[in-house]
Amino acid sequence: MPTTLRIALLAGVLALVSNLIVLGFIQYRTHDEALSEQRRQVVEQGTVLADVYRTGGMPALVDGIEDTVTYGDPQTAVALFDAKGKLVLGNLAAMPTTHGAVREGYQSALIRLEHQTAPREAAIVAHKLPRGEWLISGRTVGYGLALRETLERSLLIALIVAILLGLVCGLILAQFVGRRIGTIVAVTDQITGHDLTRRIPVSDGGDAFERLGRQINEMLDRISGLMEELRMVTDSLAHDLRSPVSRLRSAAHAAAEASDPAERDQQLSSVVKQSDSLMRILTTALEISRSEAFTSRSQFSRFDVGQLGAELSEMYEPVAEEAGATLRFHEPEQPAELFGHRQLIAQAVSNLVENSIRYAASGETIDVTVGEDGRRLSISVADHGPGIPEERRAEALRRFGRLDSSRSEEGAGLGLALVRAIAHLHDGELVLEDNKPGLIAVLHLPLRGA
Amino acid sequence: MGRKILLVEDDRETAAYLSKGLGQEGHSVELATNGQDGLFRATDGSFDLIVLDRMLPVLDGISVLKALRAAQIDTPVLVLSALASVGDRIEGLESGSDDYLTKPFSFAELLARVNALLRRREARVDPADHRIAVGDLEIDPLSRSVRRGGKKIELKPREYLLLEYFARNEGRVVTRTMLLEQVWDYHFDPGTNVIDVHVSRLRRKLEDGFEKPLLHTVRGAGYMLAA
Repeated sequence: MPTTLRIALLAGVLALVSNLIVLGFIQYRTHDEALSEQRRQVVEQGTVLADVYRTGGMPALVDGIEDTVTYGDPQTAVALFDAKGKLVLGNLAAMPTTHGAVREGYQSALIRLEHQTAPREAAIVAHKLPRGEWLISGRTVGYGLALRETLERSLLIALIVAILLGLVCGLILAQFVGRRIGTIVAVTDQITGHDLTRRIPVSDGGDAFERLGRQINEMLDRISGLMEELRMVTDSLAHDLRSPVSRLRSAAHAAAEASDPAERDQQLSSVVKQSDSLMRILTTALEISRSEAFTSRSQFSRFDVGQLGAELSEMYEPVAEEAGATLRFHEPEQPAELFGHRQLIAQAVSNLVENSIRYAASGETIDVTVGEDGRRLSISVADHGPGIPEERRAEALRRFGRLDSSRSEEGAGLGLALVRAIAHLHDGELVLEDNKPGLIAVLHLPLRGA
Repeated sequence: MGRKILLVEDDRETAAYLSKGLGQEGHSVELATNGQDGLFRATDGSFDLIVLDRMLPVLDGISVLKALRAAQIDTPVLVLSALASVGDRIEGLESGSDDYLTKPFSFAELLARVNALLRRREARVDPADHRIAVGDLEIDPLSRSVRRGGKKIELKPREYLLLEYFARNEGRVVTRTMLLEQVWDYHFDPGTNVIDVHVSRLRRKLEDGFEKPLLHTVRGAGYMLAA
């Protein structure tokens, strides 16, 4: 069954049910016991007179009618009319007026009692006698009865109308929903057909369809952003791997050509070195995407960042010294505990320190500082090297966004991108600042559950 | 002396390369080409070492490892894997392996780690931390003091740990990544020569004023402490 039809039916049934509830409520509130009691009395009186006629014939009926008129209350109406509608006997002035012709059985009618000028509402029972006479018996009632009877008839009509209206409403609603969904489907169809630039038209309205459209558009923006990034990464990976691969290739070639064993050994060890650096690039690229995808969050644990900073500083202090620089560590005033990935934070800090040692160096100091302000933790590495001009900092953080354009040097410009990815893994941020002169790289990490 | 090594590896080339290399070192190598077979053969516990690939047909390496450890078989396991991220390495180590090596690796690296694991198995019977002697070098693990030829050598705490690790692997090649993992407990690959710098500092302290070198550089592999 198509969805549109289902929506139509559902809406129809819902409209019907709600109408039924309203109608039922009206019926319940207006239904009167007196009404059925009166009807019972009227029917009984009619049946009695009819029985009298059947057992005793016309003379008995005449007696019966006269008795009823004599002993009945003023509301009682009883009369016998001949086939032409002329009064034979009884206290009615004329044949009752009904909506149509008087018919056999119970009905409501307007009757005029003798001695009265205005017709009154009455419930009557009409019996047609074998020779065409009409035996009418009944009681005059208040206006309420007729009103109620009209109401009950109206309720029945209303019920039929409600069913029809429900179906119509359902169809209209289904059409409306179908049209709105249709636009969205048309766009998503095109997107599935590889046109990622399409967007669902939305106005400023706040209805559910507008929200859905906006949500889908946002999702599409994110997807195309990711696609773009993926394309960029793949492109630059493919591009940046060309130089190490070509160096590897030429080293292998040279080794194959070499006639001197010593030279061949040297070339072969260069082959190994080149493939190692290639592997390093791939591992780092992998590490970045793993961090961006948050896969290693299950390995988080609580550890002291101050202690980690001290360990790493101790580890790199001789390396800095070898490069002619001095590395100093400034520990936090109180233990700075972080819930995070110890290995990856260590890698991030060591990347920053290595960067500083590589680009800064001789005669300068490199300051590694761990601080905490109760809300977040910061690990900063500051050097007095050439720094990075403000307008190029964003580029420095990008994958493969290495600032020196000569790509011959080792490292493919993934270092800072990895540090940033690790910061993101911890819901943190990597900020590059000016040390005047030099660079301060700060890892801001929010403290969780502290 | 040769040992029994079980190699569980589905890649034919790698398996042949490793079997040949380990065979040349005097070990007898048995090969299983899928996880189920590997687990079956390993369950008798007769091997001195298991070299286990992580991605295997039928039953993956980590499951094999967990099954072995659950069956109380404590044969040392060296996991080989193409999964190289820090997270993968930690996961591999935490699942009960004794060492984790990412592909591609040099044979020297593998051999050094295999030897270290085999040695650790021997050393298990002797838990008492008695003095370690390498030639005229004497190390007291209890007081963490080091003497050479009777003369005390002052070492920083990390330098001591580095030396102790070397001494416990006396006469065996120790690679840079092994040092980074075992002495510093870091499982990432630093770009610089940080390990070399530390080793050369330690070497200066050990060898300055003495004629005989103790800490040797093994080209293309790593370092070795030997008298």
